Amino acid sequence: MSQYSVSAQAYFKIFFHAAKHPHCSVNGVLLGKEESAGTIRIVDAVPLLHHWTSLSPMMEIGLDLAGRHAESAGMKLVGYYQACERIDDTALAPVGERVAGKIKDGFKDAIAFVVDGKNLASGEAALVPYTFQGTTWRPYSDDTTAFNVGSAFQLAAPDLPRRALALVHEKRHFMFGDFDEHLEDVTIDWLRNASCMPPDI
Amino acid sequence: MALSRSSALEKLATFRTNNTRASQETFQTASVILKSAQKLGDDGWAVLEQLFLAAVDVGRLDVADQSLKQLADRFPESPRVDVLTGIRMEASESPEVVLTYYAQLLDADSANAAIWKRRISILRRTGKVEKAVEELTQLLDTFYTDLDGWLELADIYTTCNQYHLALQALSHALLLAPQNPFYVLQFAETAYTAGDLPLALKTFLVVVDMCERDLDAPEHQPAAGVAVRAWMGVKLASRRLMINSSPSASNTAVPKTLNLIEELATERVLSAYAAKGAASRGGKGAQGKDVVVGWVGAR
Repeated sequence: MSQYSVSAQAYFKIFFHAAKHPHCSVNGVLLGKEESAGTIRIVDAVPLLHHWTSLSPMMEIGLDLAGRHAESAGMKLVGYYQACERIDDTALAPVGERVAGKIKDGFKDAIAFVVDGKNLASGEAALVPYTFQGTTWRPYSDDTTAFNVGSAFQLAAPDLPRRALALVHEKRHFMFGDFDEHLEDVTIDWLRNASCMPPDI
Repeated sequence: MALSRSSALEKLATFRTNNTRASQETFQTASVILKSAQKLGDDGWAVLEQLFLAAVDVGRLDVADQSLKQLADRFPESPRVDVLTGIRMEASESPEVVLTYYAQLLDADSANAAIWKRRISILRRTGKVEKAVEELTQLLDTFYTDLDGWLELADIYTTCNQYHLALQALSHALLLAPQNPFYVLQFAETAYTAGDLPLALKTFLVVVDMCERDLDAPEHQPAAGVAVRAWMGVKLASRRLMINSSPSASNTAVPKTLNLIEELATERVLSAYAAKGAASRGGKGAQGKDVVVGWVGAR
């Protein structure tokens, strides 16, 4: 099993995306690289959709554009994330399986995260990792809970969930924009979203 | 900066008219207004209802309970307040309890569409999708003009990969709201997902027409708003049709001028990104131009 670390930037962006559209399902992709054999660093996240997530045309275009953006930054698409419209739902939707599968064609250790709505405000890492096991995507399970000490999944710093929550209280997520929003106003910088990141990132 | 009272009221009224679910903003604005001592008149009750719904949405059940009590005291036995009571129950009670409550209300008045729709939404979220579809279809037989109902039906079919049924439901929505380009866009994207590329191309072009037909010399203005998305759809669908001809379940013909349409779509997509930052947008230009240029140029 590879080791995955999630940067502050990637975690905040997933969190902001879910927080900005609490009653919609949202999705996006993860950018990163394999640092050494079996160690994958998830550096950034690019938010895609929230209007509807089960139709393919804008997903196809968004994936293509995000892939080009990753390449120009010396990275790859390494995973997919989604948050469901219902707070207690942490199932990877069929569209998520398809997109994660497509990302896996270009990066064999691709990963999928589903936001755990119930834990968003708890200060714990609110992500449920899914990996491709045999023939389907399943929740990753192991002796240790994901993101705990000793797990294959780690946050770049343990205080990221708390910081993300504090940033949402500052309403930073209102400045966040995804591909759906960009398509209505092309001045929205969905690929970088630099303006809503805290100054130290 | 504190919003002035009238502009805050105006904002809330706009949210109500457009059915905008901006719950965090609504919650804040409405709480401030209702705390002020001035009388609001009849508008006040509408704002209170709005505050209630936003409070349930953002999880402030204490505020929701207070608002609901005021509404129930003022309008005893109102079917509209019954719906709110149901919504409040859904936030904390088990689905079975709420379904029983809805069943009682429907026994008393089977034509209460709002309660019926709440019930269908519970059926859907508890995984009884077939039952939800059956009831929603019945509801739409009775209340044909329920636009949200048709959109919900389309959404259910889409998540079950039943795209042709989704297209049928959407075509009813288009009859009811022919002026809304967003629904046409949803139809186009559903047609694309269903694999009916000629129908998708045609419908994306309808969206473009709706967005640009009233402009003076649209070819000299950058594509903007929903039209950008539609032109990208035109580009995507026409490019795929140029590579492979594709069967159309709806027997939609492929335009003979496909190459020209594709070329025009390229030009229009790029126009949105070439535009200099307009003063109205704070001088900010389009973002992510490089990747878009790469995408339109790729074969």
